[in-house]
Amino acid sequence: MRFLLYTLTAALTVLPAFAQKYEISLAGGGSFYQSHTVTNPKGDADAGFATGWAGSVAVGNNMYRHVGGEIRYTYLHNDAKLKSGSTTANFGAEAHLINYDFLIHATSTEATVRPYVAVGGGMKLYRGTGTEVPFQPLSNIALLTKTSDVQGMLSVGTGVKVALTSRMSFRVDVHDYITPFPRKVITPALNSKASGWFNNIVATAGISFAF
Amino acid sequence: MKSKSWIWGVTIAACLAASAWAGTFGKVVAIGGHASDLALDEGRGVLYIANFTANRIDVMSLADNTVQRSINVPSQPSSLSVSPDGKYLVITHFGNAEAGQSSRNGLTVINLESSAKQTFALGSAPLGVAFGIDNLAFIATATDFTLFDPVLGTMRTLDTLSGLKIKTIPQPAASFPPNITQASIAASRDGLWIYGSTDQLDFRYDVTAKHVEPSFYTSSPPSGPRTVSVNADGTAYVTGWTLNNRTFDLISEFPSAAGTFNIGSQSIDSSRNLIYAEIPTSTDPLGANQKAILQVVDSDNLAVRERLQLAEHLAGKSVLSNDSNTLYSISDSGVTVFPVGNLSRERRVTVSQEDVVFRGSFCDRQAASQEITLLDQSGLNTDFSLTNIPAGVRVSPTSGTTPARIRISVDPAGFQNSRGSTVANITVNSTRAINLPTSIRVVVNTRQPDQRGTFVNIPGTLVDILPDPSRARFYILRQDKNQVLVFDSNSNTQIATLRTGNIPTQMAITFDRRYLLVGSNDSQLLYVFDLETLQATPPVRMPGGHYPKSVASSAGAILVANRVAGPLHTIDKVDLNTRTATQLPSLGVYKNDININTALVASANGSSILAAEADGNMLLYNSNADTFTISRKDTTSLSGAYAASSFDQYMVGNTLLNSSLVAVRQLETGTGLSSGFAFVDQGGLRITAPNAAAPGIIQKVDLQSGTGSGVTRVIEAPLLSDSTGTLPFTRTLAPLANRTAIIALTTSGFTVLPWNYDAAVAPPTIDRVVNAADFSQPIAPGGLITVFGTNLSPISQSTTSGSLPTALADSCLQVNGLGVPVLFVSPTQINGQLPNFDGNTTLTVYTPGGVSDNFNLTILPAAPSVFRISSVGPDGTNAAILRSSNNQLVTPSNPIHRTDTIVIYATGLGRTSPEVPPGTPAPTDELAGVIIPPVITVGGVPVSVEFAGLTPGQIGVYQINVRMNSRIPLGLSVPLVISQGAGSTSLQVRVVE
Repeated sequence: MRFLLYTLTAALTVLPAFAQKYEISLAGGGSFYQSHTVTNPKGDADAGFATGWAGSVAVGNNMYRHVGGEIRYTYLHNDAKLKSGSTTANFGAEAHLINYDFLIHATSTEATVRPYVAVGGGMKLYRGTGTEVPFQPLSNIALLTKTSDVQGMLSVGTGVKVALTSRMSFRVDVHDYITPFPRKVITPALNSKASGWFNNIVATAGISFAF
Repeated sequence: MKSKSWIWGVTIAACLAASAWAGTFGKVVAIGGHASDLALDEGRGVLYIANFTANRIDVMSLADNTVQRSINVPSQPSSLSVSPDGKYLVITHFGNAEAGQSSRNGLTVINLESSAKQTFALGSAPLGVAFGIDNLAFIATATDFTLFDPVLGTMRTLDTLSGLKIKTIPQPAASFPPNITQASIAASRDGLWIYGSTDQLDFRYDVTAKHVEPSFYTSSPPSGPRTVSVNADGTAYVTGWTLNNRTFDLISEFPSAAGTFNIGSQSIDSSRNLIYAEIPTSTDPLGANQKAILQVVDSDNLAVRERLQLAEHLAGKSVLSNDSNTLYSISDSGVTVFPVGNLSRERRVTVSQEDVVFRGSFCDRQAASQEITLLDQSGLNTDFSLTNIPAGVRVSPTSGTTPARIRISVDPAGFQNSRGSTVANITVNSTRAINLPTSIRVVVNTRQPDQRGTFVNIPGTLVDILPDPSRARFYILRQDKNQVLVFDSNSNTQIATLRTGNIPTQMAITFDRRYLLVGSNDSQLLYVFDLETLQATPPVRMPGGHYPKSVASSAGAILVANRVAGPLHTIDKVDLNTRTATQLPSLGVYKNDININTALVASANGSSILAAEADGNMLLYNSNADTFTISRKDTTSLSGAYAASSFDQYMVGNTLLNSSLVAVRQLETGTGLSSGFAFVDQGGLRITAPNAAAPGIIQKVDLQSGTGSGVTRVIEAPLLSDSTGTLPFTRTLAPLANRTAIIALTTSGFTVLPWNYDAAVAPPTIDRVVNAADFSQPIAPGGLITVFGTNLSPISQSTTSGSLPTALADSCLQVNGLGVPVLFVSPTQINGQLPNFDGNTTLTVYTPGGVSDNFNLTILPAAPSVFRISSVGPDGTNAAILRSSNNQLVTPSNPIHRTDTIVIYATGLGRTSPEVPPGTPAPTDELAGVIIPPVITVGGVPVSVEFAGLTPGQIGVYQINVRMNSRIPLGLSVPLVISQGAGSTSLQVRVVE
């Protein structure tokens, strides 16, 4: 078994990368949020989303030897949450992202290993999906709501593609999706204040196919 | 034989058709002879019927309940049984011929697979046969118990008997098999236990140990019907009119049994914890005119659940199919087949509630009405008629078909001379229903301002009351349901029900205050309940034939006064540790021979127990001496109240007795019959009444002078001794240990009196009147209001009845002289419902302390106000608005969505169509919509009102069903405005997409 693995690895490394114009990628990974403080005269609470999982699909285009672009859809499953002291409120939530990134690769299209940086933008749809109840903890500070909130989004990231065959690559990406505070899903209560940008780090690993 | 079977088939079919008349349960299958025993062979789909007089076994098909063939056997097949493996049918023959004729006692074995028959002679008359799980037939005869192996044809004597008196053949005309054999035998479903009953002996055969345990008995009346039925695991059996356990203790008995051998039957249905039984009573005339009634009773204490009418009397053994869905019983014509598993599909007329209570008052002299429902739970339309309608009561309709809503109306003018509670029972009849419907108890109470107390109606026969000396509870004994009702004395609501033996008669609390003891007239067990857990604990087994009617617990002993099935009624001493009781050899120097109606009561400090006997005898047990130290008979009869004090004083009837039971004071009799007495400290409380329909009279008694003080009329009469003398002594007063109230057992249930019931009460004053929803000023016709003030009521009380009374806890409201239905009263607040008129009005409060000044009110045509609900969340109080999508309260965390339909609960929406009388629930079959339509806006955008009117089943509560739309603005605090005519109300809600 070990012999077979060595043989396969050696074969992959000697294969020349075969430049193709388009590629499609499938990836999955984790989704991590930075929380924000909601302030209220009655007390403050950390508002945000719990750590969750992500899945994405992207279609890319190698326009030049080092520059490409891709349009990406990402699904994020992170519960909304509030925390103040020992009191916590959780509410089912998800997000749908669609963005276009320019990818600037460090190596040419023929290279086996292609590190890159990405920058772009898009839209992010936050959705509260939990069960509404009359009495939610910390509702005097903020309200986790079953509704939708569409926000413009800035996307930056980095990653690397490793050619496995002439048409298939393994890729690892880390993106930071930046949006304004989704006030409809995490609604500050009367007399509460919340503002700023939400950073959402999404780390994925996946496969891309060239065609 | 074949040629005969079709004749039988035609005959039986004709009989079946004739017997299928309406209004009776079960199908009769005639056999042309007298059946003596039954055995089910469900593997072959047949029932074997021992035709005693025709000398054959009739084989009835279970598929169509017809006798398809018969097996000729020797003379008088008296008992039969099928082996568990289904191979053999063993039949005994009762051939105990008169002297001079040859005996024909014997048994027949039929191999059911080959149809081969074999006969064997028996040395004496067989009493019965039953197979155990070991496939051996257990046979009881007049002289022995024998085990018969049908495979080998061998017999083995297990034990011998002597002295049984067995009847001989021939017998006089109209003698039936149970009259002749006088014995029955049956096995448990698991085949491990066999029980039998003869004229002098019950016996139990342990199939595993192959051991017979006899138990000789005497019985008066005789133990009939002479059949036996055993429960599934052999832990209990019923024979005659008694339910017994494995150790032959009499758990409960059917009351007033006639003891006839050939009329009646019983069968235990372990899967449903029921017993089906026809037990003729001695109080009914026996014979053909007596109705054949099948009782469905609980299998632990024989509490009656239903009474079903039969086409003819049952006349011997009953057997239940393995799935417990079909009961086969020997009956006059042969066999009756009961589809007990399909009982719910039979026509049975039931009443939605046991009683209807009308609480009139000096505030309201208008006719009042309530509705009840007559149902047939099978869903069929069954005829009914109502009779025995008392004067002053109108019922509509008085006949019809189910389901039917019956309006019962009472005209107070018909009861204007009454000052207490009048009780009448309306009889429910049906020609097609198979059950005997329960009657409807109508209680009409009228009172004057000076009559104190609030009564809580409890249907049924209540016979005793006890306050708990260390818990906020009191206990009431409901005799007709075999229950102790446990009440919380803070709220006067029932918190538990304890099951007792049959016909419970009296209660006592042990001196350590841990256990409640309950005696019964028809059980030989003294029931014991743990008062901490309110659970039953093992009962006390009384000596054989002893029925513990009265019980008392002193510091030294627990004594029981028994009705004894024997020459003398006795007092027994209970050992609670071993749960046994022993008859006292003597009562001190006196013979242990008491009257059947003897009441025991212990002093609170446990020093003594008084025994008051209906024939005038009195006895006193002294705890220190551990014996009876006094016996006197100074009168020929005693009845009424009985009590014992901690200061060596006793009360029986109207006589106060000293420590030597010598009469020292005779209390006045002008206030009526003695009912209840309770020693409180060194004084006494006493309640009397001239009759059951009069007001009760409560007073404090000075024990030195015997004079009364604080003489006050009570809302209704206390329970009085019955005229038949079966309940000569009454205990009807229960002063609560925390001294907050006095509970009295009264005509329609119990009455709560404040501890200082005779205290002078200040007149009421009204501060403000607001709507009960948000406590704002505008009020409207039919709306719920809250009156704030002082001295509005002596106590706090809320109503639990379906329709609102116009007086509660001695307080009532009038608007323009018209009684206002009230929901709740307290010293500072009264909640009620306004009448259906508007304009400028005057409101007045009446209490025992007097009448308030007039309070001027303006009732608007419409004044909507949304109810507020106190919530546990951070929002404190929320408007009563529900989202239809999740049926939850609208709050910021459960906001209104644009796609929602919401329900707003409010009051003050004014008159409706149809108009609903104040104090009565809104109809459920016809929606009562408001006459002035409301307009609803959310954030200034009109939304669609789908319904606005009274909430069905509620009193004074309206609801507005509103559909949102996509145009309403979103926000954390959006104004929702309800406008109706000139009135409007506004509140803030959160709206999201």
